[in-house]
Amino acid sequence: MRRLGFVLSLLGCLLFVLGGMCTARAGTIKIGLMGPMTGSWASEGQEMKQVLDLLVEEVNAAGGINGQKVQLVVEDDGGDPKTAALAAQRLVTQGIVGVIGTYGSSITEATQNIYNEAKVIQIANGSTAIRLTEKGLKYFFRTCPRDDEQARVGVKAIKKLGFKKVAILHDNTTYAKGLAEETKHLLEKDGTVKIVFFDALTPGEQDYTAILTKLKSANPDGVFFTGYYPEAGLLLRQKKEMKWNVPFIGGDATNNPDLVKIAGVDAAAGFYFLSAPLPKDLPGKEAKAFLKKYAGKYGNPPNSIYAVLAGDGFRVLVKAIEETKSTDPDKLADYLHNKLKNFPGLTGTISFNEKGDRVGEVYRIYKVNEKGEFILQQ
Amino acid sequence: MEEFLQQFINGLTVGGIYALIALGYTMVYGVLKLINFAHGDLFTIGAYLGFTLLTSFGLADKIGPFAAIAVLALMVMGLVAVIGIVLERAAYRPLRNSPRLSAVVSALGASIFFQNAVMLIYGARFHVYPQNLLPKIALNVFGLYVPFVKILVLVASVAMMVGLYVFIQRTTIGAAIRAAAIDQGAAKLVGIDVNGVITLVFVIGPALGGLAGLMVGLLYGQIKFTMGWLYGLKAFTAAILGGIGNIPGAMLGGLILGVVEALGSAYISIAWKDAIAFCVLILILIVRPTGLLGERVAEKV
Repeated sequence: MRRLGFVLSLLGCLLFVLGGMCTARAGTIKIGLMGPMTGSWASEGQEMKQVLDLLVEEVNAAGGINGQKVQLVVEDDGGDPKTAALAAQRLVTQGIVGVIGTYGSSITEATQNIYNEAKVIQIANGSTAIRLTEKGLKYFFRTCPRDDEQARVGVKAIKKLGFKKVAILHDNTTYAKGLAEETKHLLEKDGTVKIVFFDALTPGEQDYTAILTKLKSANPDGVFFTGYYPEAGLLLRQKKEMKWNVPFIGGDATNNPDLVKIAGVDAAAGFYFLSAPLPKDLPGKEAKAFLKKYAGKYGNPPNSIYAVLAGDGFRVLVKAIEETKSTDPDKLADYLHNKLKNFPGLTGTISFNEKGDRVGEVYRIYKVNEKGEFILQQ
Repeated sequence: MEEFLQQFINGLTVGGIYALIALGYTMVYGVLKLINFAHGDLFTIGAYLGFTLLTSFGLADKIGPFAAIAVLALMVMGLVAVIGIVLERAAYRPLRNSPRLSAVVSALGASIFFQNAVMLIYGARFHVYPQNLLPKIALNVFGLYVPFVKILVLVASVAMMVGLYVFIQRTTIGAAIRAAAIDQGAAKLVGIDVNGVITLVFVIGPALGGLAGLMVGLLYGQIKFTMGWLYGLKAFTAAILGGIGNIPGAMLGGLILGVVEALGSAYISIAWKDAIAFCVLILILIVRPTGLLGERVAEKV
């Protein structure tokens, strides 16, 4: 008799658990986040997660999307294409509607086809390489601008600073190489600025003195480095140690406060970089309210614009699900491509064109001041 | 010419660090015939321990920068040596009589364990050594520009290597290590404590690796938990280049690798730097399959 009672209660438990699982499945909308939680870009990924955690909390506190709660499924791409492909495969098997991310272009590129084949909406937040949206992928979007736009602003900055001879250095990643080549192409077409140096370094190393010595012998007026902030920080620091006072301009991947930490304040001072407006310079009312809330929860406002752009990706996806009252990827993609117009995002108004690129919104030029702060240049 | 010399010095500094790490690989291989894949991570641990000790005690303010760095170096070497002993006891000694492959797998596992342990303890973000710790003096020799820290690193690594060489060649304990490297069974028969020798090897190798980590921290400032992988790979290459198991070979291999990288990026292409370095390795191995000094010295350590 006791055994029968035990078996019955066990069955009861099982039913309860299964039932719970079923209602959970029907009642939640799963949205993925793929970001670099570890690896050299970990500070970007961890902030992306903080932004999305906050937004998910907000949406759920307001009753969810059409009465359904949102659940965030986070996978780490490690800032590495191979890890990212595995992360993408794990995400698509978990029934997510869409995925936000990721930061690096070559990482995003490794996952684009996986999501597209699984019909999962992907909204990248930091991947600016041109060719990502030139493939005709129906479910791919991005909230960040593109590198042809960035190269145009880069050329403008180079000419404005009066460089006659410029050196271009990239790091062979999809993003950095694309930006470097686009800039080179525009400069050659323009014809007034001479390119005296064009080569790539190996990211992840620590000694770049050999490269700096070679750069110095090319005697440029300025150097445009299109890679990421860990290397940019080391370059600035070692350039200072060499007592070489050439101005450096960086692409938008050098936009991270860790740059100043790595380089040291005095070596970073005077460094120019291109970027979408920083969180602190975001003008909109929505942005100000969000930044305040974020600072309230985590103690400091977000450092990286890409984390906020990830937040915008999440918000447009939520908007699309709300408006279409559906989680059908075709309907959502159609809504985002054609019907979403001038959505009030945290980083300005958002609309997508037929390729999935964000329209409007220009790059700005920033300069690091003597205190290591990023100052918007007019 | 000036640029050539500058690049040569750039290469020597990097090569000195490769050589210090390579010594750890080569000593362990000499005695145990085992590639200690966790060695690169001991290097990372050295860099992080140096960071913690430097920032938590404020030694530099109390006793001056040079004394602080000397004390720091000893502390880091001691602590990493302890981790080295624990590593040997936990991961290698139980597998001493198993097939060699098991020990290699164990080494890879230890490497992953250390890397993740550092990440979990310190976080995945970069850490940056305090700036302006050492005086920013630069020597200007015939228009060549050499920062003081680089000279310090180079001198310290050469001193360590020469010291180790003398220790192995001239002392009784050194002779015991050489004997254990040639034949462990015979060494036991003549009364050498082989386990003691192996423990000693796991004191010296990790201590030097840890010191290299500290030097990298002081020299470049930026440390991260994945840094051991690349340095470990380069140092392993250097050890093979010089002839694995051979101490002067590891030094020579490290310095050559550093210089080849610097000159390759200066005169051929920066992007092809690693390819050039590995081509040189392949060419040398084709001509001398045992590495540069692999054959000349009969006793391997």
